[in-house]
Amino acid sequence: MIENLSLFQLVVILFASGALLGLFSRNSRFTRILTFVPTMIGSFFTVIFSVSVILENPFQLIVPNLLPFINLEIKVDGIAAFFLLLISIVSFAVSLYSIGYSKEYEAKKRTSVFGFLFNIFILSMILVVASNNSFFFLIFWELMSLTSFFLVIYDHDKEENVKSGLTYLIMTHFGTAFIFASFLLGYIQTGSFSFDAFRNSSSSFPLLTKNLIFLFAFIGFGTKAGIVPLHIWLPQAHPSAPSNVSALMSAVMIKIGIYGIVRTVFDLSGFGLSPEYSWWGILMIAVGSVSAIIGVLYAVIEHDIKRALAFSSIENIGIILVGLGLSVVFASFNLTTLSALALIASMYHTMNHSVFKGLLFMGAGSVVYATHTRNMEHLGGLIKKMPWTALLFLIGTISIVGLPPFNGFISEWLIMQALLSSYQIPSIILQISIAFASLPFALTIGVAAATFVKLFGISFLSRPRSETIAKIKEVPRSMIAGMSILAAACILLGVLPFLGISVITSAFHISSQPINPFDAITLQNSFGKSFANLSMPVVVIMLLSVTIAIFGFIKVIGGKTKKITFSTWDCGFGNLNERMEYTGTSLSQPIRVVFKTLFKSHTQIQREFFGDHKYILRTLKVESFSKNIFEEKLYLPIISSSIFIFDKIRKIQTGKINAYLLYIMITIVLLLLFVRLSHNV
Amino acid sequence: MYSMAEIIIGIIQGLVIILLSPLITGIMRKTKARTQKRMGASVLQPYYDILKLIKKDEVVSDQSSWIFRICPWVNFVSLATAAFFIPLFLTYSPFGLAGDLLLVIGLFALARFFTMLASLDVASAFGGLGSSREMMYSALLEPALFLTIFIVALTHGGTNLSTLITAVSGATLLPHPQLIFAAIAMFVIVLGETGRLPFDNPSTHLELTMVHEAMILEYSGKSLALIEWSQAIKLLILLVLVVNIFVPWGISSSITILALGIGFVLLVAKISILATFIAYFESSIAKWRLFRIPDLVAVAIASSMIGIILYYIK
Amino acid sequence: MESTQLSILTISGSILIIATFSVVARRGFMDWLNAYRHQSIVLAGVTAIIGYITGIWEIYIAAALTLIVKSIIIPKVLTQVTKRLEIEFKTETNPYVSLRTSVIISALLVGLSYFLTQQIPFRSDPVVNVLLPVSMAQFFIGLFVLVNRRTVLSQVVGLLIIENGLFLFTMVLTHGVSLIIEIGIFVDILVGIVISSILLFRMSRTFDSLDVTNIENLRDD
Repeated sequence: MIENLSLFQLVVILFASGALLGLFSRNSRFTRILTFVPTMIGSFFTVIFSVSVILENPFQLIVPNLLPFINLEIKVDGIAAFFLLLISIVSFAVSLYSIGYSKEYEAKKRTSVFGFLFNIFILSMILVVASNNSFFFLIFWELMSLTSFFLVIYDHDKEENVKSGLTYLIMTHFGTAFIFASFLLGYIQTGSFSFDAFRNSSSSFPLLTKNLIFLFAFIGFGTKAGIVPLHIWLPQAHPSAPSNVSALMSAVMIKIGIYGIVRTVFDLSGFGLSPEYSWWGILMIAVGSVSAIIGVLYAVIEHDIKRALAFSSIENIGIILVGLGLSVVFASFNLTTLSALALIASMYHTMNHSVFKGLLFMGAGSVVYATHTRNMEHLGGLIKKMPWTALLFLIGTISIVGLPPFNGFISEWLIMQALLSSYQIPSIILQISIAFASLPFALTIGVAAATFVKLFGISFLSRPRSETIAKIKEVPRSMIAGMSILAAACILLGVLPFLGISVITSAFHISSQPINPFDAITLQNSFGKSFANLSMPVVVIMLLSVTIAIFGFIKVIGGKTKKITFSTWDCGFGNLNERMEYTGTSLSQPIRVVFKTLFKSHTQIQREFFGDHKYILRTLKVESFSKNIFEEKLYLPIISSSIFIFDKIRKIQTGKINAYLLYIMITIVLLLLFVRLSHNV
Repeated sequence: MYSMAEIIIGIIQGLVIILLSPLITGIMRKTKARTQKRMGASVLQPYYDILKLIKKDEVVSDQSSWIFRICPWVNFVSLATAAFFIPLFLTYSPFGLAGDLLLVIGLFALARFFTMLASLDVASAFGGLGSSREMMYSALLEPALFLTIFIVALTHGGTNLSTLITAVSGATLLPHPQLIFAAIAMFVIVLGETGRLPFDNPSTHLELTMVHEAMILEYSGKSLALIEWSQAIKLLILLVLVVNIFVPWGISSSITILALGIGFVLLVAKISILATFIAYFESSIAKWRLFRIPDLVAVAIASSMIGIILYYIK
Repeated sequence: MESTQLSILTISGSILIIATFSVVARRGFMDWLNAYRHQSIVLAGVTAIIGYITGIWEIYIAAALTLIVKSIIIPKVLTQVTKRLEIEFKTETNPYVSLRTSVIISALLVGLSYFLTQQIPFRSDPVVNVLLPVSMAQFFIGLFVLVNRRTVLSQVVGLLIIENGLFLFTMVLTHGVSLIIEIGIFVDILVGIVISSILLFRMSRTFDSLDVTNIENLRDD
């Protein structure tokens, strides 16, 4: 315990010092190192801290009466330690990456403020996860939202960044209001802000209270996580922020929303193993499936790299919620082993998503650093100029699509097995609905593959589509080093899935037999025969041996052959240039046409002819637009009706002093009347 | 655990799939030729083609990168590895301890992903063409495939192929009704995954009708040999799965030489009949317009949805 | 009730569902007519199986009637009448819901009919058990086709599928006791088809279109 305490204090000191060093050092040459190295060291110690909490015991710290009547309570149990591990691994890699990346902003000489905000942001996320008291939870939550808001509008020269920052600010406060309401209900029932009080008496709350606590927490934390339809801030804020901040936000901050949901459902809300709670899980599965399919469909038609990655984050949050919802539904029917399976699947996917989304955003940041554009229609051929970035980005892409032998496959396999196990639920309607819910889930996986083929293929492969690409170079080594850490994690979690699973089972106190990292994952059906088996290390060995075998075979049979390099086959045309390649828009066109009711895209064509002939074209301009139906059908009506109502209310502000004095008089009279009349009762 | 003999038989099953696959492709081509009133090449022609291509020089595009070069190897390795998980003439495979049906589908996806990337690598319009169409097909077929696996796995008790096929081989003569619907969906999926008509014409090189051929247009020499071979392996894996799940009678459940021999002979016969039927079916229809394909996939999805309903309402 | 008979019953019910789907998933009048003919043949087969299982010989007569009237006479009448129509009336104008979505909606309707028949207290009779949801599914799918299509010609499709569903429904519940009523319904349908074909022909000549939405022009605005 002592060791954990000193580790925790060390971590806080390190982040704080990084922040202050960043703020006070105006000399830009050393600012980068001074700001980000303490972050790296702090993240490293956080990793050690969280692993020690997972392996041994929970850590608790109470600072009494920090504010009048309210204690600062810190409690890091297994769930919090797991999320701390995610935060720390990603922030270690991202801070290493930032040492090189901040060079881009050095010209503007604001790296000091950036370093300050960056460190406070990570520290606030750590403290949110570690909080055991709803008051301080909300304080650190608000701190996290504010620092991320300032980081999003860091590049405030562009007006669109400011607009996205404002959208983000409004939506996150909307969510915070719901979280506050949820905690308030708990306070009303227990009379205390502490989570321990909630835990102890939550099973005796009335059912309506429990349902409301869950619902408000789901809406509030879900806004931060990015569920549909509360997601509109995500595709605006994540691209506007600097890429290292986007990496942190997408990989870690939205997981804090998931942390909130997990904490509320499994710990604080008095969830019981009875079917009346199954609607919680059903709601999560429904929202998750919708988020997944909407997220990925908008990702595939997007030509801004970072916005496509942001939509992909919405998709993955949807998948995580499907797994969590399944876990809740299984638990409500007392199928505890299946519930554990679904929870492991969901948390594994959380871990995987942090790792590969951080990697992908860092890769996108490297692309922006080198080429100064986010639009993939202007890119191309980057694999030859930036080979390391391309390789690491490819690893991230293979992982997110869920291909063996990397980590995405393991978590998707686990979620599919959880979906298949739904046949054990004793309600036919639920069985059939969950089976049908796996339809959008499978479609999501297919379209996600399409999205990332487009993303990687158009940006990195084929010919460069503009002249600026010809002069770019590979990015600084620190950026590549940061990315390689997460890429190594992807590979490790893919080939040795039991590393990840054992972390989750010990963190969440799920019992399992002692295992070694090379075991297979085994599931059994009701006849005692094996339902499914997966042993990734064996599969990797098989892949390698087949590679060696076929290589030898071809060498023996084929003998010596030459490879001649020549231009791409062009049907004799002879003049292939970059205008003849496929663009990103054309690559996703078939999918766009199939789902055209969702996208409502329309095309505008303008033609200019030579002289008066209507047959010889001089110029042809084609523009194609897709609308964002959520903004149009859901938010705009709400916003315009709110503005309408506010306009009407504004009539109260007449500007005349007499009117305001009249308001004061009326209020005093009404209050006194109220007091007088309530005494009669 | 499995005995040495069983492990050897497991390896042999995989090798048989890898080595037998060009023959099945040859049978399909011969059948198509005969229905078109041509003599057609011999059924062993794909073997001769592959051996010839391995010995030839390659021409590589100057725009391409290492992804183009590595793609044929990734294709072959992932599909050949998938072949080891499929029980062929024995109801189980010792490799079932390491992987199941979902892993096989994942390996298919790995091969397809790299092919789509490599086609974009060569900076020609054909590659983008094939890639965009293949993206649409594979995305739409995923739901149908998953629901069909759902039906089959739930009816027979697992996605582990050994458990699945062992359970199937002990079933009665009359199929469960949900399996009829699963079979319909599976037929459409097999046509789509292997790029047969009406999804794609495997013998055309016109840009109007190419999907898979467009993606591999630039390949030559060893790489082309590997890719052609991988396609044949994928076709055979899917045919074996269809036969062994839906028409399993004759597969052997013990490792005696006699049972294995009978199982092998019956399997080759059933696969040849299925391949001939598919080739005959292909000869009787044309390639569909690209945006009519979702209608066909919708039929597969609807069929598997009804299968699920029938399974649960039993 | 032996289990093989039960399996045969279930499989024949499944084939009937497949045949109904093949009627929905078609464009074009001639395709539809062929599919309808196949569906009627399957229906006759299912009726014969019911007759075999329950052992009532009158059901065989109903099966033979179905075969003759629905798979031979009605298609013949319809082809004769529509031969004189212009070609463009025979191909489908766009329905309200596209073909692929209507296929999936039909699958959901099958699920709905299975769900609705869960509560019916005829559990002891396996014929009812298996084939009642199938008949209700046919009824719903026919109704959906009726709602979805814009031309009168294809709405006749829906009508005939509904009739098939109702026929199976009564057959399953009453086991052919009221055979006279069955014969009456057959004659009804036959006459109805003849009359509607004549009307179709007249409509196409007078209004030059079979589009149902033209009725909106009668609205008083």
